[in-house]
Amino acid sequence: MTATAAALPHLSEDRHTTLWLNVAVLWHAGFALLLAASGIFLLVSLADSTIPIATGLRVFLIALSLLGGVSSACAAIFITRRDQRGRMLSLVINYLGFVVCLAFDLHILGVYVGLDVLAGTFKYGLPFLLLGFIGYLIGAWGDRHEDFPQRQQAYRRLSQTISLIAAGLWLLSVGLLEGLRALLQQFNSPLPFILTAGIAVFAVLLRAVGRRSVAEALHTKRQHEETLTGLLFLSPNLLGFLLFFAAPLLFSLLISFTNSDAFNPPDWVGLQNYQHLLNVTIQPLSSSTQLANEVLDVKIYNELARFEILGQSYVIGAQDKLFWLALRNTLVYCLMAVPVSVIPALLLATLLNSKLPGMKLFRAVYFLPSVAAIVGIALIWQWLYNSAIGYINYFISLTVNFANSLFNAGWVDPKLQWLSDSNSALIAIALMAVWATLGFNIVLFLSGLQSIPRDLYEAATVDGANPTQQFFAVTVPMLAPTTFFVLTTTTIQAMQLFEQVFILSNPLGGPNNSTLSLVVYLYQNGFQRFRQGYASATAWVLFIVIFGLTLFQYRRQRSSSGAYEG
Amino acid sequence: MKPKSYRRLRFIRATLIYAVLISVALFMLFPFIYMLTTSLKEPKDTFVYPPRLLPRQDVAASIEGQPDPLPLYEVQVDGQTRQYALVESNIRVGIYADPSKPAQTYERRLTDVSPTGGAENQQTVMVEGQAKKLWNVEVDGQIIPMTEVRQTAVGRFVDPQNPQAEVYRNVRLSQPVQNLTAHPENYQEVVELQNMDRSLTNTMLVTFLVVVGQLTTSILGGYAFARLKFPGRNALFVIYLGTIMIPFVVLITPLYQLMVAIGWVDRVASLIIPWMFTAYGTFLMRQAFITIPKEIEEAALIDGASRWQILLRIFVPATVPSLATLATFTFLYAWNSFFWPLVIINTGNEANHVLTLSLNVLRGRASDTPNLILAGAAISIIPPVLLYILAQRFFVESATSSGVKG
Repeated sequence: MTATAAALPHLSEDRHTTLWLNVAVLWHAGFALLLAASGIFLLVSLADSTIPIATGLRVFLIALSLLGGVSSACAAIFITRRDQRGRMLSLVINYLGFVVCLAFDLHILGVYVGLDVLAGTFKYGLPFLLLGFIGYLIGAWGDRHEDFPQRQQAYRRLSQTISLIAAGLWLLSVGLLEGLRALLQQFNSPLPFILTAGIAVFAVLLRAVGRRSVAEALHTKRQHEETLTGLLFLSPNLLGFLLFFAAPLLFSLLISFTNSDAFNPPDWVGLQNYQHLLNVTIQPLSSSTQLANEVLDVKIYNELARFEILGQSYVIGAQDKLFWLALRNTLVYCLMAVPVSVIPALLLATLLNSKLPGMKLFRAVYFLPSVAAIVGIALIWQWLYNSAIGYINYFISLTVNFANSLFNAGWVDPKLQWLSDSNSALIAIALMAVWATLGFNIVLFLSGLQSIPRDLYEAATVDGANPTQQFFAVTVPMLAPTTFFVLTTTTIQAMQLFEQVFILSNPLGGPNNSTLSLVVYLYQNGFQRFRQGYASATAWVLFIVIFGLTLFQYRRQRSSSGAYEG
Repeated sequence: MKPKSYRRLRFIRATLIYAVLISVALFMLFPFIYMLTTSLKEPKDTFVYPPRLLPRQDVAASIEGQPDPLPLYEVQVDGQTRQYALVESNIRVGIYADPSKPAQTYERRLTDVSPTGGAENQQTVMVEGQAKKLWNVEVDGQIIPMTEVRQTAVGRFVDPQNPQAEVYRNVRLSQPVQNLTAHPENYQEVVELQNMDRSLTNTMLVTFLVVVGQLTTSILGGYAFARLKFPGRNALFVIYLGTIMIPFVVLITPLYQLMVAIGWVDRVASLIIPWMFTAYGTFLMRQAFITIPKEIEEAALIDGASRWQILLRIFVPATVPSLATLATFTFLYAWNSFFWPLVIINTGNEANHVLTLSLNVLRGRASDTPNLILAGAAISIIPPVLLYILAQRFFVESATSSGVKG
């Protein structure tokens, strides 16, 4: 059937359309040849190591150009046969070509890097941003006059004018003209010209193949149009997601099998990073005081811990002792911070749920720490924790003195060293984290509580349950999904402990590695020693631990709610 | 009887609830209040123990015949507490006593006494088996030989109204007169010290562009997932959902290497462009759009409206609360982020610092002036707090609808 269709133009096809379709066929055939040629060139260059492109990237480019070539050839064939798939392929290829050329052109012309300059001039534009906001407010104000369409129209026009003027002035004030001049100066090599020409060609083809008459000539149905619109709407999101999320995610796994340092070509080392991280051994000791280096291979293992079972002492040796310390610290931190920021949050949320006046104000106050940057919060707490002049030790002394004077308790003021004592540093960080996350959890619990139907409580009251019984028989089980959500988010957050330690500990992860968390250890490896392969492996181990914890909590939630239903 | 006791019980219960809630509220607010008041203190005032919340400063008074105003102290004069100015400090004085009447001591400047019998052969006296030097001390016009009990340093205080009236008192034991004050110039100082104005506008730019970019891509993507059918849509949506729970640390090394490859290390672009596309925002907008009745959309399509018009005229206005929620969430994330800027922006390149990075450098640079550090912290914390006060509802909603924490 296709042979005749190709020979005879469709009835609805005018000469103009036929011309454009022929142009598209020629273009796709030519483009396919171009891509095939460049693919072959890259394939040949695989053997030639003088071209400075990484092998992985080269293989990727070869695959990409071959795929593009084949698709383009298919597009040409389908269009010749007046098949709608040809139009779809053509639009996708031209759109991708357009986006790639545009992105690459902007890169070559220094637009992304030019954001630095914008950062410098941004302050001059602030008044005009404010003006634009005022314009928006005028429009919003005008929309309230629904009964007076004329007045509404006038407000809207005023709003648009102000916003337009503000936008223009803003662009001028942040240096649009200087930016354009700098842009034009970049046209000093053939590449920007080629790319700009590419943009134009792809745009023209997009416009031509996108024409309604072309669509009709290729028998495009409504569902095909919808597919194209869907892909078009999703494309900015999807392309960004692929480039900055999905690809790095896969790449992260690849890096974890290499000895990458981010700058030099990496070597494949297989599972070595993971092996080094996780390698532990347990050896029996002849007595609990025997030195570890008598039983451990000291070239590999460091003593991590020792324990005793049935009178026999054992020593645990680890190849990477710091990793295990960091894992332990992170888990200990979770055990401290998570319950203390979840259980009081539940209790406070039930108090806030009482129908007393002023509860909204309390909720607002409790949520306040969640708005502030952890870095800023940590700086405040650093001084609260100061052992000489800090408020926390001052409050402790006040309490101790009060107790002594009242009950003659004879307590001694502990004068804690908080952050500079390896016994209390992690506790101090956990305490601060509790303060910072409590309000967030309260708000989550409160919204969970408000969704529990009131008649359950009424039924419980009829059954003679007192408030405590009601709390455990109605509130806790009904709140199980919220509790699960709060627990998992708090745990996931706590497992990624970094910023607090970075600001509060001195030296980083100290004193004496007592606040070294997994992410801090990852940071040290990846961005201080630039052992990025090792850091990636640590990240994946952390991810698996987090995933396991979440799964564990999910199972528990499922089984406990199941018990309730039964 | 019963209703009355019931009412009393309710009153007690309410009081208890309020007591708990108010104490927790104080606990929540205290660090912020401490930050604000400390940021207005002078450096000396921050190291006072016991700590005082409000900033205070020494009061000075002008004294006739003195070029500069002098600090006022509370001193005991004739059994009364008076405010005197410290004219001269660290005056060496001796405490002298007559060996026969050791309980009565006299305080004299070292220059006002002379060795008994001359400097060459000073007389001594035996006190408790020890030989002690004797000094001529003038008491009421009489010169009495006395022994020196100890030496000390005092200050000379004068009455500001009557500079002739002077007393000598130990400076360290005297309470300086202080009044409440505020040093807003700390903010000026920290801005100059750490380029905080530049990092503030950088943070504004980054946050602004990330919010605008993320709203745009999320609206478009959310609409496609909610309303446009295309092959693979559901599978793609499941992939998007699955990636929401992946922790950022997994991405940090590959993203860094990507930035190295495209030359964005140390550039503001690296703080903006990678963060314009999120699965979470797309998911949130898809959930919002899917609640809009299909009939409205179909009617508009029949009327000849394009998809763009439908999205901008119907869907976006109908989901303003969700958009505002996503905007606040993104705002907080962008404004407060630290790990990524720390990794990607060089510590030395202060022109590209965001607020959190500036604070990190300031922490080391101003480690002995908490007032400056906390002024810096306030600069980073106050804008989101102000926005929170204005649009509290959306912040709370961004918390309850979040799958990820900010």
